[in-house]
Amino acid sequence: MSRFVVFLTLIALLPTLSFSFTPESPTDRRILVLLDDVSLKSSHSLFFKSLQSRGFELEFKLADDPKISLQRYGQYLYDGLILFSPTIERFGGSVDLAAILDFVDSGHDLIMSADVSASDLIREIATECGVEFDEDPAAMVIDHTSFAVSDTEGDHTLIVSDDFIKSDVILGKEKIEAPVLFRGIGHSTNPANSLVLKALSASPAAYSANPKSKLSNPPSLTGSAISLVSVVQARNNARVLISGSLSMFSNRLFRSGVQKAGSSTKHEKSGNEQFLTELSRWVFHERGHLKAVNVSHQNVGEANEPSMYRIKDDLEYSVEIYEWSGTSWEPYVAEDVQVQFYMMSPYVLKTLSTNQKGLYYTAFKVPDVYGVFQFKVEYQRLGYTSLSLSKQIPVRPFRHNEYERFITAAFPYYGSSFSMMAGFFIFTIVYLYNK
Amino acid sequence: MARSTTKDAQALFHSLRSAYSATPTNLKIIDLYVIFAVLTAIIQVGYMAIVGSFPFNSFLSGVLSCVGTAVLAVCLRIQVNKENKEFKDLPPERAFADFVLCNLVLHLVIMNFLG
Repeated sequence: MSRFVVFLTLIALLPTLSFSFTPESPTDRRILVLLDDVSLKSSHSLFFKSLQSRGFELEFKLADDPKISLQRYGQYLYDGLILFSPTIERFGGSVDLAAILDFVDSGHDLIMSADVSASDLIREIATECGVEFDEDPAAMVIDHTSFAVSDTEGDHTLIVSDDFIKSDVILGKEKIEAPVLFRGIGHSTNPANSLVLKALSASPAAYSANPKSKLSNPPSLTGSAISLVSVVQARNNARVLISGSLSMFSNRLFRSGVQKAGSSTKHEKSGNEQFLTELSRWVFHERGHLKAVNVSHQNVGEANEPSMYRIKDDLEYSVEIYEWSGTSWEPYVAEDVQVQFYMMSPYVLKTLSTNQKGLYYTAFKVPDVYGVFQFKVEYQRLGYTSLSLSKQIPVRPFRHNEYERFITAAFPYYGSSFSMMAGFFIFTIVYLYNK
Repeated sequence: MARSTTKDAQALFHSLRSAYSATPTNLKIIDLYVIFAVLTAIIQVGYMAIVGSFPFNSFLSGVLSCVGTAVLAVCLRIQVNKENKEFKDLPPERAFADFVLCNLVLHLVIMNFLG
């Protein structure tokens, strides 16, 4: 009997054992961290600590550990993956390029960092995410105008950048005052790919070349086309962060002071910690993750959702939208959420009013067209997960007895019809009896 | 020239009137009935031009009842006219029965369409 009880308890606990990001409980998430070298764990500990303090469970593994695997029995073991292994040529275990892409395709998040002499495998993962690293393996981003001032002159590969993406959702409301230190390789993003965003761009004077050799050919990547850190939000709302520098995550650059060349202000602490912490918040869905619930629609003044509308009905539509704040679902407030009443093309497009508590609502008249319509909310804003709701609803014409009758304007027509009938009657009598 | 035209017109009118007075009374009754129907139709079209075509089905049924009545009456007139040799085998009673039946069908349709 006691065995049976234990079994039952285990069965009941089974759902809580799955770790994937569910919209209802996006906490207690497990992240696999793949490292080149165990020493990274201590040299980048500030970054890892900030994740752990936010409730993430980090599992550190060497990238060539033969035991690593992302899934077991078809279930993913982790909700996020951090690749701090720029030089790895082949992952250990069952992890390879396809496994990582499948991981992202199934809606999981990825932070990857390349570095100077990044391996082909890392470059391929980046390419699949829409980011091309400079092909020259020895190339670094060099900037002779906005480098970090140090005691020695150096080769200007430790550059500073404050060209952040202008989005409060991605970088947090608090302005990043100090510039970010960066030493690594640059990449370019495909302008046709709207899913990739440059989170941190190089200054217009930067270029990507081998700092040790003389520049013989014009560099392939120049100016602010160079992206230092890029983010991707896939169509399935999986988020990816791609950085060209592993050292920018390190404790040394987190704690280092920064002074931009040509500028007299010296910041005590670089912007790296704030920038990367806020960015990792975004990547791991602690910000900008929207959910829409309680979609409802009904005739004005009625409580129940009808199975069908009639043309020219007055209807109300409402939806609740919440944003995940890292700990709870907070009402999402915006003025630009729109609903479409859609059949091949939108017949009605209305901006929803909000009560500032997450409820969005509107009322409109069903168009004078019958057919199978959809209520559609397509909400795509920079940094937010895309919302795409659609609900099908048929619209019928008037029933035969629903048309207006005895219209005043039509009385002359009624009169003439009846006078024709009376005329027919009188004509018949006159015609038959006139002899 | 102008005077002679007026005269001609008057002469034509007189000859038409004297010729028409020879028409049998039953045909004159039918003519009167046709004129009544056509006038009613014209009045309705004028009314529609003023107030717009909103209850369009009502307008159509009102005008079509007049037009239909006129057409059926003209058909009756053709069939009962003694001088028309084409229908000399058709007795006028039969022609009138057809007319009544067609009118019933017409007004049934009009009532349904009147809205």
